Amino acid sequence: MAKDIVLDVKDLKVEFDTYGGVVKAVRGVDFQVERGKTLGIVGESGCGKSVTMQSIMGLIPMPPGRITSGTAKLDGLELLKVSPEKARSIRGKEIGMIFQDPMSSMNPTMKIGKQIAETLIVHRGYSEEKALNEAKRLLDRTKIPEAHKRASQFPFEFSGGMLQRAIIAMALACKPKLLIADEPTTALDVTIQEQILDLLKELQTEDNMSIIMITHDLGVVARMADQVSVMYAGQVIESGSVDEIFYKSSHPYTIGLRQAMPVNDEQNSTKLIPIEGSPPDLFSPPKACAYYARCPYAMEVCNKQDPSYTMIGETHRAKCWMQDARAPKNDDLHQAHL
Amino acid sequence: MMEIELNQKQTNSTPRSAPAMSDIKSTSDNLDSFFKPAIKQDESLHGLSRPSLSYWQDAWIRLKKDKKAISSLFLVSFILAFSLLGPLFWTVDPNEQNLNMISQGPSFGSEAIIANREMLGELIVDENIPEEPLEEILPLAATESLEVLGTANTVGVHLKWQAVPGAYNYTIYRNEMEPTSISELGVPLFTTEYANELSYIDSLQLEAIPYWYSIVATDGVDEAMTYTSIQVTPKLAYSLDQARAISNDYKLGDSISIGAHPFGTDQLGRDVMARLMTGGRISFFIGFFAPLLYILFGTLYGGIAGFVGGRVDGWMMRFSDFVVALPFLLFMILSYIAFGAGPGESGIVPMMATMVALLWPATARLVRGQVLQLREEGFTQAAQLLGASSWYILLRHMIPNTIGVILVTLTFAIPSAIFTEAFLSFIGMGVAPPNASWGVMSNEGIATMLNTPHELIFPAIFISLTVLSFNLLGDGLRDALDARMRSRE
Amino acid sequence: MKKYIFSRVVQGILTVFFIATATFFAMHLVPGDPLMDAKAMTPEIRANLEAKYGLDQPVLVQYSTFMKNMLLGDFGISFTQKNRSVNDIISEHFPVSAVLGVLAILYAALGGILWGALTAKYRNKWPDHVIMVLVILGISVPNFVVAAVSQWATVNLNELAGTSILPVAGWGEFSNMILPAMALGLSTMAYLTRLMRNSMLDVGNSDYIRTAKAKGLKASRIFVQHELRNSVLPLITILGPAIAAITTGGFVVEKIFAIPGLGRYFVQAVQQLDYTVIMGLTVFYGAFLVFMVIAVDVIYGLIDPRIRLAK
Repeated sequence: MAKDIVLDVKDLKVEFDTYGGVVKAVRGVDFQVERGKTLGIVGESGCGKSVTMQSIMGLIPMPPGRITSGTAKLDGLELLKVSPEKARSIRGKEIGMIFQDPMSSMNPTMKIGKQIAETLIVHRGYSEEKALNEAKRLLDRTKIPEAHKRASQFPFEFSGGMLQRAIIAMALACKPKLLIADEPTTALDVTIQEQILDLLKELQTEDNMSIIMITHDLGVVARMADQVSVMYAGQVIESGSVDEIFYKSSHPYTIGLRQAMPVNDEQNSTKLIPIEGSPPDLFSPPKACAYYARCPYAMEVCNKQDPSYTMIGETHRAKCWMQDARAPKNDDLHQAHL
Repeated sequence: MMEIELNQKQTNSTPRSAPAMSDIKSTSDNLDSFFKPAIKQDESLHGLSRPSLSYWQDAWIRLKKDKKAISSLFLVSFILAFSLLGPLFWTVDPNEQNLNMISQGPSFGSEAIIANREMLGELIVDENIPEEPLEEILPLAATESLEVLGTANTVGVHLKWQAVPGAYNYTIYRNEMEPTSISELGVPLFTTEYANELSYIDSLQLEAIPYWYSIVATDGVDEAMTYTSIQVTPKLAYSLDQARAISNDYKLGDSISIGAHPFGTDQLGRDVMARLMTGGRISFFIGFFAPLLYILFGTLYGGIAGFVGGRVDGWMMRFSDFVVALPFLLFMILSYIAFGAGPGESGIVPMMATMVALLWPATARLVRGQVLQLREEGFTQAAQLLGASSWYILLRHMIPNTIGVILVTLTFAIPSAIFTEAFLSFIGMGVAPPNASWGVMSNEGIATMLNTPHELIFPAIFISLTVLSFNLLGDGLRDALDARMRSRE
Repeated sequence: MKKYIFSRVVQGILTVFFIATATFFAMHLVPGDPLMDAKAMTPEIRANLEAKYGLDQPVLVQYSTFMKNMLLGDFGISFTQKNRSVNDIISEHFPVSAVLGVLAILYAALGGILWGALTAKYRNKWPDHVIMVLVILGISVPNFVVAAVSQWATVNLNELAGTSILPVAGWGEFSNMILPAMALGLSTMAYLTRLMRNSMLDVGNSDYIRTAKAKGLKASRIFVQHELRNSVLPLITILGPAIAAITTGGFVVEKIFAIPGLGRYFVQAVQQLDYTVIMGLTVFYGAFLVFMVIAVDVIYGLIDPRIRLAK
């Protein structure tokens, strides 16, 4: 069955010039997003998730940023090579984006309604009044009570959860094909998180929209994602369907993440195991496997040469020497920590 | 644990899947032997660790990297040394007036001759020429020659010119710039009475600077349209009386050596460099002590308010809000008058008193904020839980953590105090003449600004450079001491 | 918000009351008496004068008379210029200072916003470096030096051009106002430039600007609608101190440029110890400054929705 791919990213590499030298923030990332489906991108802070998304959106400041290689095709349109003006017309219209901290993501001195209306005025050419009415409808659609009144309020008059709804309304104003949600629930209370995720799912089905859900919370991934890519030190180290990632974790880092995730299961309560150490310095990324220093299964080869991807299933692949035929068989990888 | 388990389970399993990339295959033979658990050095897990530095060491290292701050530090030290140590080497009395040396530009020592008017010769009256011309010749020509008789000096300049046929008399002009047309000659210096007066001795407030003398013939009513100019730079000269005031041995024609004035002299002939030094002492005195006092008071006030908290804090802060609202300069003037410092009396004491009385609230607010914040910090609460006394917390946690902020405040307060001193002295309410301060000197310099700008420019440069370097040093210190306060200069 | 304005105004009235009291007693602390300098004064004239100025009354009576008069807006009669009331002096000379001050503030604010925005846009490029060097100079050079040097430079410029490009002293024409307003506003402009630059950089790095970019807004729209407004808002908070700085700066600038403003008059009164003028003008200036600061705070509250609605 041919998959309906909305976004296809291949071998994306991004560098930044800084005073300390060149930071290789993204070092060859591939992923695909299917129409109407959700791709979860998981990784700890500084692993290049956000930079990857910003490159796709054309939001990397250049200089100091630099995209050194790769392609990113949105329905066949090469995003990395379009003119800045074209990239601008895609942002907000074809691709929507929502951010981590709703409180700081809205202009504090502009009314909510107007901030949403702006998008419509710019991309749809609506009149001010029409845009404002549509903004109220959108607020209503994201289940904000008294949307009419709320539209003429300022961000500081909203609670975090309400504000995130308003931001979602803003991002979806032009019915984008793709929504990039950069840790949309991290700054919110747990109960509010649930509501926001439900809302996103609902709106996704209505609009047949694709979502890239960036998070470090595996719980969010489990709820939302169809496919998952796990990133580490600027690379995708494992990707596959949600089930494959959760039940057939094939990279020690994915396993580590899972062990560090709390499970709500009274009978099977296991101790949380933190991943020791910290990610490598991306000023001079390791020549071989970037996870070597923290990997409990590390072999000598891991420090000699970078592993390539091993296909484990049809969509499941991992970038680890443990998957090599010559590696010692290790049941731990699949069994020990489920 | 994991690695041991792994060791035990080493078996040759069948490959599940081949490596996808071909580049690995090419080297795979060499890699076979490396598929065994790695023995990692401990550091590899934790990355690089740096030697730990104390707060001040770290700050000093950061400050040293800031070129602007370090050059400012040098500049401040230099100006400080100039003011404090300078008088040890430059022993000229800053209040000694020398009326022969009024408003002289910078010089590094020169000679003056002792002269009087007689040495310049007699005025020339040509008996061959009638007092009034016999016939009218129009238009009048310019004189064909204009020369200086004897040595031109600041006692007098003797000019001689050749008669112009038909002239009734002559008008002499003196300019400090070269005249380019007859309209630029300005006001005449002197007009002769008769046509046969062919020389003139100018002794009107001469200085040792270049002058342009111009002679225009007149027909008794109107001036000719042409003129002849000559450039003369008189030599510095003392009259015999002036010389005798220094030593009785001097006689006419002798030379007197004049001391150097690297920054020139002012309008009373006082040495500007010596005055800059004493002025600097006053500026720095006020600049250091006033801020030191009010910052100390503000620190105590804010510290107590923050530490005690509650209602006391509320009232104390309300009072400080009240003090903030008082217009500083008005109170300065009030206290200047109330202290009985009449016009022309020194206002240093009222100046210091007002600064201390009114400027502390900013520091108090800052320190209070810092103390309140520190009270909420984990380490303070931990210390409290462990039973540490208030004094211990104050000494061990509060003071070390606020001292950086206070130091930065002090660095910015110094230039603003120097600024205030200069401003008040400038409007006549600070240091009173004849005492020197940079503000007083600027004020006096403005009067003569157009002719001798050095009298304004040197004190102005000293004020500006001092304020500038303290400001830059403050920026640097702030960046170095607290990354959170880091400015993005 | 109404409650806030009310409490600020009450606080302001109290402050002015304190200033008036302090002024009165400061004047009474002065050794000697105000009529001491007047020569050839017969006891009768002296008694008449004392009666005229109320100096024969006990201090507390004098104080209450003074406060009553202040409340009624009657600032008394000058000691040195007989028959000229302080009210006359204020109404004649204050408008001059006000015009100069408003011009200086406008010049400082427009310049500060413009240069600040420019430095932030060209951060770490040469326009930024050049302007920031000038800013640090503007902050460090006292206003009387700026005034004197600009006057000196203009004199030379006029001489060089052979015609009067700008008048260097006096008052009346708009051309008279340019040089003093620039000299007076320079340091405030420098402060505002620095503040505006920091504010622009803060706003530029903020999440909501990232949001605006992600919405696909045009750069010009982002700048005008989102960056500029939010960057300029914090500048309003230093307008209070700026007004104070420009008012007191007027004291020297008016002196140097021979402008018949109130500041010059005030300095002159202090130098001549003209007691009633000093008292009247101190209270007047005090009230002016205190209420300007309150006005600025209230205006800021009205403009910034976060404060307007919170209070």
